[in-house]
Amino acid sequence: MRTVGRRRAFPVSLIGRYLRFNLAAAIEYRTAFLVQVFGMALNNSAFIFFWLILFERIGSDIRGYEFSDVMFVWAIVASGYGLAVVVMGNASQISRIVYTGELDVYLLQPKTVLPNVLFSRMVVSGIGDFLYGIVLFVATHPVTARNVALFVVFVALVATLMTAMRVLYHSLTFFFGNAEAFALTASDLAVSFVLYPGSIFRGPAVWLLHSLVPAALMGYIPVALFREFDPVRFGLLILADGAIVVIAIAAFHLGLRRYESGNRIGTRT
Amino acid sequence: MKPQHATSAVASAVSVRSLRKEFRTKQKLPGLGAAFRSLVHPSIRTITAVDGVSFEVERGEILAFIGPNGAGKSTTIKLLTGILYPDSGEVRVLGLDPHRERRALAYRIGTVFGQKSQLWFHLPPSDSFSLLAGIYDIDRERAKRRIEFLTEVFGIGDLLTTPVRKLSLGQRIRCEIAASLLHEPEILFLDEPTIGLDVVVKERIRDLIRTVNREDGVTVFLTSHDAGDIEKICRRVMVVNHGRIVWNGSVNEMKYTLLNRRIVSLKLEAPLVFSMEGVEIVKSKGYAAKLEVDLTRVTIESVVSTLLRENKIVDISIAAPPLEEIIASIYGRTEAPVDGEQTTDGDE
Repeated sequence: MRTVGRRRAFPVSLIGRYLRFNLAAAIEYRTAFLVQVFGMALNNSAFIFFWLILFERIGSDIRGYEFSDVMFVWAIVASGYGLAVVVMGNASQISRIVYTGELDVYLLQPKTVLPNVLFSRMVVSGIGDFLYGIVLFVATHPVTARNVALFVVFVALVATLMTAMRVLYHSLTFFFGNAEAFALTASDLAVSFVLYPGSIFRGPAVWLLHSLVPAALMGYIPVALFREFDPVRFGLLILADGAIVVIAIAAFHLGLRRYESGNRIGTRT
Repeated sequence: MKPQHATSAVASAVSVRSLRKEFRTKQKLPGLGAAFRSLVHPSIRTITAVDGVSFEVERGEILAFIGPNGAGKSTTIKLLTGILYPDSGEVRVLGLDPHRERRALAYRIGTVFGQKSQLWFHLPPSDSFSLLAGIYDIDRERAKRRIEFLTEVFGIGDLLTTPVRKLSLGQRIRCEIAASLLHEPEILFLDEPTIGLDVVVKERIRDLIRTVNREDGVTVFLTSHDAGDIEKICRRVMVVNHGRIVWNGSVNEMKYTLLNRRIVSLKLEAPLVFSMEGVEIVKSKGYAAKLEVDLTRVTIESVVSTLLRENKIVDISIAAPPLEEIIASIYGRTEAPVDGEQTTDGDE
């Protein structure tokens, strides 16, 4: 055997290499890089004014949600989304990677396929989202050890869940030929629902938001736990997140057996 | 069809037995109406891409794997490299099962698919090399030495710091092959490595492939539509058509025995005077002529002796027909109805 070095399925150090590599590629186009990062932060800021005006007009409470609760959801979702797309930016590209046959490149490398696919691409604008979430959190909440710890945990959970949902939705491409449009819509739907107070939803929508479009797991359960931490409820949240991650991984690997590859000409960008 | 080479699986770089792969594709007639009808009642066609093929590739060999578009070449390579799961049959590459031991095999094989790049488009090749070294768990010092070695052999020193998007196709392919050799693979799978290149660059790529094979003992499994690649690099050729191997033998054997024809080119002191059963005068103009000899009807010896007796010959050459013609002839002979293909109605 001629290759040297310890062989690992997917070493953490490779994540660092991918991040440095993608950042270097993004900085090749400095202006576009800066516009994407700051443009996204500016875009998000516009929504804060919308919520400010709304709360001023209808009072300080929308079905139990206060302005600071909405800002907390915005902060963890913005930073969680940013973290997900900066570190695992290929989750939303899985359909394209499958139907163009680009997955071949990953299957030829000696690394576990799913993490290798996910970590190999960075969405630069996500840096803006990530930083924006942190700034928003610091600006709207007291920076205590407890608050910061919960913020960090929920950002990580949101990032994991968002990625898992994308993997699950896009893995349908293995079975149906192309599920890209469905996956994009479903992912956007989850983000749209999560940004509104969970208490405004009733009936079947509540079930939907805890399962197929798990906005509740990213939004109002974290908000409730941030207000008043309950270890049992937190444990259930972790279990629910874990279940979705397991289902997403299983869907990807089941799909991989049906992979038919393709011959589309292309380069890695 | 020629008998398969009998080699033991242990000594083989690649050993394939009765390999089969089918694809099911939805058929759709043109038009909006047909699109709606196919929603309710889809017509599914089963295409047998690889139809029970068996072959061996010895270690250190350079093998050409050729066939017309859609013959099953790429599917076979994808089955050998662990990209696709076979429906049935047995595959061993360096003693490993490609789809069950994909990661272990990936450390030991290199691939260059002309259509899919492993270099990042916006970054210079040196960055891609460094990332690939990480992916293949090559330590920093060894990677540095290996990159220096490949840079020298492939003459890519000037290209290492130029973004890939600014390289010419020939420069990019050189960097692609160098990248595929970074982890010192034992087998190199090359899918159309010279496609779209000019003759000078093609020759350079061929030289590099020969060097890698000769100096590092790397087994080369090459697909190409370019007869020059096959003639100049490979010792053995396998022709695949409709998912089946229709020829498996040495390149020379193919050239000299498959088609019983020879081309005799002549330069003469006077216009040609010649007529013989089994010989066709393809061209005769002034003091030059070209004859095509059918060896099933006449021997080359009797043709040459008759020519020498009846003409004053300045120069004579005898050659097999060009490889392109031979390959086209093999393809033509196997253009039979495809019995592995069927259309069925049903749900997908």
